[in-house]
Amino acid sequence: MFPANIEQYVRPQSVAEALAACAGYDAGEAMFIAGGQSLMQAMKSRMTRPRCLIDLQAISELKGICTDEGAFHIGAMTRYVSIANDERLTGYFAALRDAAHHVGDRQVRNRGTIGGSCCWNYVASCMPAVVMGLGGEMKLQAADGSQRSVTAEDFLIAPLETARADDEILLAIRIPQPAGRGGSAYKKWGLVKDALPVVGVCVAVTLDSNDRCATARVALAGLSAGAHRATAAEQALVGTAGDAAAIAKAFDAAANAADAQGDKWADVAYRQNLIRTLGQAVATSAFARAAGHRE
Amino acid sequence: MQTVTITVNGEAFKEAVPERLLLVDFLRERLALTGTHVSCTYEGVCGACTVHLDGDAVKSCLILAVQADGHEVTTVEGLAKGEELSALQKAFREEHGLQCGFCTPGILMNMTDFLKHNPNPTDDEIRMGLIGNLCRCTGYVHIVRAVRTAAKMLAASAA
Repeated sequence: MFPANIEQYVRPQSVAEALAACAGYDAGEAMFIAGGQSLMQAMKSRMTRPRCLIDLQAISELKGICTDEGAFHIGAMTRYVSIANDERLTGYFAALRDAAHHVGDRQVRNRGTIGGSCCWNYVASCMPAVVMGLGGEMKLQAADGSQRSVTAEDFLIAPLETARADDEILLAIRIPQPAGRGGSAYKKWGLVKDALPVVGVCVAVTLDSNDRCATARVALAGLSAGAHRATAAEQALVGTAGDAAAIAKAFDAAANAADAQGDKWADVAYRQNLIRTLGQAVATSAFARAAGHRE
Repeated sequence: MQTVTITVNGEAFKEAVPERLLLVDFLRERLALTGTHVSCTYEGVCGACTVHLDGDAVKSCLILAVQADGHEVTTVEGLAKGEELSALQKAFREEHGLQCGFCTPGILMNMTDFLKHNPNPTDDEIRMGLIGNLCRCTGYVHIVRAVRTAAKMLAASAA
């Protein structure tokens, strides 16, 4: 199993060079490759047959995690292993580490990137749901040098579909610092340990001065719609103290509202049960992190 | 075709390769370094093709040879220093860490990198570290034991 013929491979040193490399190719003929942990599979199975591969590995401006007035700016080419090991990602940002620690396996985490995962937007993947759950903003650059910022919801249109144009590069993902104390968590259930999520749940909450939930964002992974917000759970969490009863009620609502489809691995009732049980564990952890409790 | 220079086990190899050539096929077919195995059908699921790319354990079936241009690759052939096996290799021999041995090269490469980052692992951490490597003889108990023994051997030699 190997890819169809590739006419050209280029390794640009800058984003501008990478975007220029698309010129002369029709839409979809030139593809950017990040860590390649999904794209290589798609190429080998001939699901995609790019004529030109533009390898982003040498572009240093796309790598690394930095803070900017409390927000985290994560370069699109930042590898899972770097996110999993970044001890600054606590409290409101902790879900990123929860997810990055359990993507695939060590070898995949050594190579795969957060930007690649979000741009591929596979139906069962962790990072898109986490970025959506944390209210991430996707920063893109077009061939003419112009930049734009898109919310994760607007970016992640549907499985294998994003708002990125073929000649646009995702530069970074910005996770804004919320007002007040925040906490987040992510957990998934897969068929084997660290496999693709059959269901994954990301919860991000902030607390007001009375330790009540001021804002809540809940994103689900693994259902047919791909990463999406579970607004029923969000509405049910706001205003509560994050106690077990309130959390249980919120994820009952999420499970009932979910458009879950069954397959041979997990039927609808099982997926709804996963939303309930994972959601309860994740929300409990997110509230504890927001309150500053050590785990 | 593109000319690449890839340093493998300390030696630089300059080769003209088709862009679509996988790194694992470059190693096995161009350089005849057949210690790197392919156990699944290049789907990235078995881990037998694990090598080090600039020191990090990665699956060489998920990388093109052209992507490794200018980089350093270490394969299982590069673990021993002459006749002197690495601590992990010795531990695999002593603890019967292999049955048929087909998965062993990938596990040695992954766990060499693992022990570098986690020199004193628990059994749970070893098992979590092994998720990307399949042993279809299912000899995991001995593999975990071998990794644990290697950690002790490395700690003793560092002391």
